Amino acid sequence: MSTTRTGQAPGRAGSVPARLLRALVTQRLVLLVVLLAGLIVVMKLLENGGYLLAPYSSDYLAAALIDAVPLGLLALAELVVIVSGRGGIDLSVGSMVSLTGMTFGFAVGQWGWPLLPAALLALLAGGLLGAVNGFFVAALGFPPLITTLATYYAYSSLALVSNGSAPISTPRIQELTWLTQPVELPLFGRYVPDFPMGLFLFALPVIVLLWLNVTRGTYGRQLYAIGTNDTAGRYAGVPVAWVRFRAYLVSGLICGLVAIVNVSQFASARPDAGTAGNGMALPAITIAVLGGVAITGGIGRVVGVVVATVLVVWLNAGILLSFEGSEGSQYQLLALGGVLVFAAVLNGFATRRYGGTS
Amino acid sequence: MTALDERPRTPRRGPTGALGGRITGQELVLIGVIAGLWLVLGLATDTFFQAGTLGNLAYVVAPIALVGIGMTVVIASGGIDVSVGSAVTVVTVIVAKLVRDQGASFAVALLVAVGAGALLGLTNGLLISLGRVHAIIITFGTLNLFRFIALRIFDSEQVAGVPGTLAFLGGGGAGRTWNVPHAFLLMLLLAAITWWFMRNTPSGRHYYAMGGDRAAARLAGVNVRRQEILAYVLTGVLVGLASTVIIGGGGLIGQNVGVGMELQVIAAVVIGGTSIMGGRGTVLGTVLGALLVGTVSSGVTILHWPSQLTSLFVGVFILVAVGTDVLRERARRRA
Repeated sequence: MSTTRTGQAPGRAGSVPARLLRALVTQRLVLLVVLLAGLIVVMKLLENGGYLLAPYSSDYLAAALIDAVPLGLLALAELVVIVSGRGGIDLSVGSMVSLTGMTFGFAVGQWGWPLLPAALLALLAGGLLGAVNGFFVAALGFPPLITTLATYYAYSSLALVSNGSAPISTPRIQELTWLTQPVELPLFGRYVPDFPMGLFLFALPVIVLLWLNVTRGTYGRQLYAIGTNDTAGRYAGVPVAWVRFRAYLVSGLICGLVAIVNVSQFASARPDAGTAGNGMALPAITIAVLGGVAITGGIGRVVGVVVATVLVVWLNAGILLSFEGSEGSQYQLLALGGVLVFAAVLNGFATRRYGGTS
Repeated sequence: MTALDERPRTPRRGPTGALGGRITGQELVLIGVIAGLWLVLGLATDTFFQAGTLGNLAYVVAPIALVGIGMTVVIASGGIDVSVGSAVTVVTVIVAKLVRDQGASFAVALLVAVGAGALLGLTNGLLISLGRVHAIIITFGTLNLFRFIALRIFDSEQVAGVPGTLAFLGGGGAGRTWNVPHAFLLMLLLAAITWWFMRNTPSGRHYYAMGGDRAAARLAGVNVRRQEILAYVLTGVLVGLASTVIIGGGGLIGQNVGVGMELQVIAAVVIGGTSIMGGRGTVLGTVLGALLVGTVSSGVTILHWPSQLTSLFVGVFILVAVGTDVLRERARRRA
């Protein structure tokens, strides 16, 4: 499935360049790593040529990773949901971030709760919202795209109404910025750049837990099983509805975490945090797909999504240094769309040429 | 498979039989809900049934329903297009600048709008069909690409002072006859044509066949690729028309025009009873779905409720619509 290399006949060895090309085209992780390396080389060349507004330094790249935390976490949420199959997708993640962010904001900023209970409340709220999605999709058999479109509307509306469309930004919330600000690592911190705190508090634990669960735990095997084939999963004794329900639950829980990150990053709980502009869902889905998650379900790796997140964030960081003013954010759209279409078409080509991708 | 259930002139049981199967159950329910809402709003306020309010409602609904017509064909045939919002942004800024800076006439503006829209739709169609990639992935990508193109053309500024060249299709006095917006009439005309096309022509039926089972449709001799590309081109053409409606009387065109419109359009299509899995759905339902969303939005405004509540109601309506669809599908399978 995700880890097997399909379409490789045993004992059939091609020439080295042909094998490299094949790995590049059929294995998403190889492609992503090559793109990432290429990106850094190109940016360094541009820097040496004096074309950049500021150096593309390791400090800059480390600081840019704070954008990778919400983006990567939501992309991992999409991974779990999309892998669960039957058209799995979660359009409501942005709204869930907004609504749980407001809950967190109320708890800390207005009710004066300490950080830990408030964070637990945010997780609880996220889990509840995800459970609503999961109930409709898994228990009642609603199509995920439409269910989460409906809850996207409902949650975003509730988030806006909850405080009359106004953000919550009391001093107590502004004190929380340490959660995401760069810190110097202990012991060897003087020799490496300062990484954002959010990376260690939120991103790494989720990545490790999810990776263990998906690749080493029973839940992961069941998830890939129902994502590949619902009926086969049922015959194999997998509690299909329960497994799929938990995928949407996980997505909601992750949104609760992202809400905490978002509130501390901007020192304010904004009711449109996850839905302003194009929202958070579209970039998250884009990165998941770029990371090799098959929209048809059953295929996708945590590592692929993580590398895709880093690629997109560092690409965006590089673009910001290459253009002045608002042009940079425009070219970020071009890059995201272009890379996604390129990867998708390449995927289609690889499936036909080599009979499968991993 | 499911397409066969809606074969024209097939006698059907249930409430639709009396109308010769021309109207589906979902559409009857929608008509009932809209009539009920109008009645409540008419009784609760004294402004709802004023011609101005209904005229505004019709004008607001027109662009959503216009794009919805194409989206119905796309979704019924098993695809989806989430890039329509960005496509509207592109066409709107091109045409707005053309009208303001080049002084283009009504006919030229309309032609350019339709042409540009068709080109964007063709891009989607070709990428989806030739790349053989799921439509949602490609259109997520082109959503970003189209938005990039639009923002480049905007050149970091809003387009201010757009003259009223397209006022005939706008929401102002010049765009209405007896308070009925021309845009709404245009939408009704195109919806009627597409409704007839989808019901009564082989090509129209092929879309349902593709949505029901693409491989089977191809084996049965349907030119799946051509049909698919044409569906996205049709959507693009309608995006062009919707953009001219949005420009209408001119004035200020902001950079966020069209943002998020794809979700409204898909909501209208789904509330109208089109199955997101493909194979089922009618244009009439989509028009009613758009009308319902417009009515809710207008009602929330008239009742002086917070306007953000509209989304909550839209979400609930989507869930109810999908719920009835799921239940009906189960009943059909059991029968």
